[in-house]
Order: sequence, then structure tokens, then C-alpha cells
Amino acid sequence: MRLSDYLRDRAAAYVIGAVSWLMVVIFLNAFHAGIQAIIIVTVILLIALILSEALSFTKKRRFYNSLEASLEGLDKKYLIAEMLEEPDFKEGKILCDTIHETDKAMLEHINEYKSANEQFREFIEMWVHEVKLPVASLQLMCHNDGNSRYSSQLHRIDDYIENVLYYARSGSAEKDYVIRETSLKRVFADTAVRCREELQERGVSISTEGLDTRIMTDSKWLSYIFGQLISNSMKYFSPDREPEISVKAEVTPDMTVVRFRDNGIGIPESDLPYIFEKSFTGQNGRTHSKSTGMGLYIIKKLCGKLGHGITAESVQDSYTEIIITFGKNDLLKMS
Amino acid sequence: MKKILIIEDDNAIAEELAVLLGNSGYEALRITDFNKVQEQMKNSGADLILMDITLPGLNGETLVHEFRKSCDTPVIMLTSRTSEIDEVLCMSYGADDYITKPYNPTILLLRISAVLKRTAKVTQQRTYRDIEVSTVSGTLTKGRSSEVLTKNEMIIFQLLLDHQGEIVTRDDLMTALWDNDEFVNDNALSVNISRLRNKLSSLGADDAIETRKKQGYVLT
Repeated sequence: MRLSDYLRDRAAAYVIGAVSWLMVVIFLNAFHAGIQAIIIVTVILLIALILSEALSFTKKRRFYNSLEASLEGLDKKYLIAEMLEEPDFKEGKILCDTIHETDKAMLEHINEYKSANEQFREFIEMWVHEVKLPVASLQLMCHNDGNSRYSSQLHRIDDYIENVLYYARSGSAEKDYVIRETSLKRVFADTAVRCREELQERGVSISTEGLDTRIMTDSKWLSYIFGQLISNSMKYFSPDREPEISVKAEVTPDMTVVRFRDNGIGIPESDLPYIFEKSFTGQNGRTHSKSTGMGLYIIKKLCGKLGHGITAESVQDSYTEIIITFGKNDLLKMS
Repeated sequence: MKKILIIEDDNAIAEELAVLLGNSGYEALRITDFNKVQEQMKNSGADLILMDITLPGLNGETLVHEFRKSCDTPVIMLTSRTSEIDEVLCMSYGADDYITKPYNPTILLLRISAVLKRTAKVTQQRTYRDIEVSTVSGTLTKGRSSEVLTKNEMIIFQLLLDHQGEIVTRDDLMTALWDNDEFVNDNALSVNISRLRNKLSSLGADDAIETRKKQGYVLT
């Protein structure tokens, strides 16, 4: 708050003061009070005005300046209520109370949504577990009856169910994963077995290198991530080449880098920076297959929660490579 | 015949599991009354227990924990909960394996036989028609002559031997190979089988592996 602002705000009061002073002067003049009395009255009034205005100005300035400074410095502006010092003038108090009240009301409002959101997430998790039971019995029935016709469709259903589950998990604030030492080879083999039928139908050859290493991750989440990468690759294989997927791991002193590469149609350079964004489908999504733009977005969020880095490299018509980096943190090791 | 106890409250799944296990040469027992599960587990005389994590009025994790204090029958947990936390808890409470629903039936059978082998008190010396099978060194020995099997051939031979006299489908063989990080294709499987046949016949076991058209292979 600057002095000029304050003075401008108070302009009306000064005009009224000046008019009053003029009337006092006329009045005193009418009674022949003499020039000295007029000067004394004027000086007294002026001093009183300056003192009271100075006092009021400094009070307000201290309060509003600190308010502005705190607001400036805050990352989350709504926390301003916590930073307020109770002022000793009425206007300030009203402002303070208003802020406190609005903040409280907003928090309650947000909490309603939070708990509704949380309940919905819990319901989704529960639903996913429930719907897996009939899928499991159907899969067993297919196997027992020697009928494999339905199992690939069942597998698709299961994949879509997993998408829902991990989308719910990726957005939740809760920590529902466990980072522990995991065999990279095991996780990848589990995932590959899950997708084996589709991979073989498509004639995809898989090669691995250096997977015999241990990384810090949540194996279930990583398996989902690999599953998504495989299903992405399957969508964008080139008709001109034999489809191939290669997975390589390189161990450096402070991290493990896993390169998941396919020899598909690749990603146009202009699309590459956006592939991890929500609902981004890009050129390939438009021209090649049904793409929702959710797969890589969910993967990126899951990697973020697990603390893994994820980037992509690609040359159009040649290959796509997704690179996941796993940090090494001995402190996180569980037996 | 190995006995396997199924503790699963979803009837459809329990029934299909029983059929699956029955077809694979196990004797399947089921618990239908979920009172005093603990005692039924102990009295069943089962060689292995398949247990669902969520049972009516019970928690599979604590059940395993309690059961482990007095009994060391291997337990495999089956669950539709796909969180690592559940798995870590189960394993720390003494479960021997943890499989999430829906499961690939072949994988389930592989895990069961792996757990049974691991926990068998006496490691059986395996033989096939006077041929000694050593999985550790990957060799087949008959008298003085012996043949070295590759990793793939050994995986195939073991699966056939585990189900001697029964049909093993190409699908089962493929799953077993992939589960062991051997991502082979159809052609490679045929090549591996014909090499295995040659090695077996050079040890005097001619026509050991029969082909059943459109079904699979049988080790006779």
C-alpha cells in the first residue's frame, strides 16, 4: 500500500475537512476573532488531522503489505488464511474473518469431492476384484473344455479391466505400491507369458539382453507397464517387416536403464514430445488403429509415482524405443 | 496321487479348479463349510493347499499365518487382489506362492508342480526307461553313454516326463518355455522336439515321443 493510494482513498474526507475548516474560518471571522486565533485553530486542526491519518495509514500499511507479501510468497494461495495476523482495526478484522470463513467453506467443499472420489476409487477396486472372478472361472472353463476360442477374448477383457484399475491407481494420492528388489527377468517373462497367444499369432519374435538383474520397483505395476508397451507395439507393427520386440537392460553405477524397442512404424518427430500427454492420439492414432491416448499417459503417471524415469525415442518407419530408468536406492531394499 | 485341497468360496471357480486338477492327475479335495477351516486344513492330509485370500468371515493372510505355526504343508494363495502389498504380506506369512486371478491354467499347474517339487522331502531320482535324468547338469545318461540337453529341450522333456502317458499340448509346452524366458516360436518348438527325439533314440529310446495330431505330444 502506497501513500498516494491511501490519500486518494481518503480524498472525500479531506474535501469535507477542508470545507469544514473554511466554514470555521468564516464563522471566526464573523465574530472578529482576529488572525491569530484563526491560525492557532488551523494549526491545531492540521496537526490533529496529520497525526490521526499517519496512525491509520501505518496500521493499514503494515497489515496490507504483509498480506500482499505473504500472498506473493505462497505456492498454494489458499493457505493465506494460515499466514494472516489478526489486525487491530475493524476493516482488517472483517477481511480476516471473511478469508477464514471462505477458506473453511472451500475446504469442506473439497473434502466432499475428495471423499466422493476416494469412495469411487474404492468401489472401482472392489468391482475389479469382483469381475475378475467370473473371468477366472470362464478361463478355467475354456481350458477344461479344451476350447481355446474364447480365451483370447477373455484376455482382452482382462486387459481392459486392468486399464481401469491402474488408471484409478495412477490418479490416487494413496500409496498403494511397494518398492522392493525385483527380478527384471521374472517380471518380463510373466508379462510375456500373459501376452503369449497374441504375440505368437502375430509372429512377433522377442529377444532379451541383460535382463538378469535386480531392480527396485513394484513388480505388479511394472508388469502392467510392460503389458501396455507390448500391446502398443502390437498396434503399430509395420506390414513390411517381420515384427520384432527387443528388451535390453544396461546397468550403470547409479541406475538401470531398460530399453523396450520395436521395429514398428515409429512415431513422427512432431508427435514425439506429446505422446505421454493425456488423450493425445497423434498421426498414428488417426491413421492406424483405435487409440485412446490413455495408455502411455497412465504409464507415465505410474512411473512418476514409482520414481522411474520414462522417455521415448523413435525414427519414423524404423523403430520406437521406450526407455525406463530405475534408480538404485539401497535404503529402499526390503529383505 | 498327490492330494490338493481347494479353499475357495466362489463355487464356479472351485468346481473348475477341481476339474482342472483332476484332469492333470491330482486328487482334488474341496472345503465347502467355511467354519473351522484351520482344522479341516490340518485333517485333510493334503500335499498342497490352494487358498483364496478372501474367504467368508476369514482372512486368508491370517489363516496362513496361524496354519504355518503348526503345519508345513505348502500353500499357494489365489487372489484377485493384484497389489504387491498383498503378495508381500502373504509370502511373509508363509505362503509358498501367490497367483493372481484370472490365471493362465497352464501356469497354475506349472507353479503347483514347482512348489510340490521344491517342498518334496526326498528329491526323487528321476528315470525314464533306464535313462537317468539329471536336471542340474542337464544330461540324460544310460549306462556309459549320455546326451547333453539344451535348456529348452530339458524344459520340454521335464514337462513330458511329469505327465508321462498323457497328452501335453503344444500350448502347454510353449507356456512352460516362455515362463522360463525362452521366447521361442512355433518353428523353434518343432525343431527342439525333433532334436530331443534324436537324442532320446540315440540312447535307445526310439519313438519315445508320440505326436497326436492337433492335440500335442505324449511321452510313452
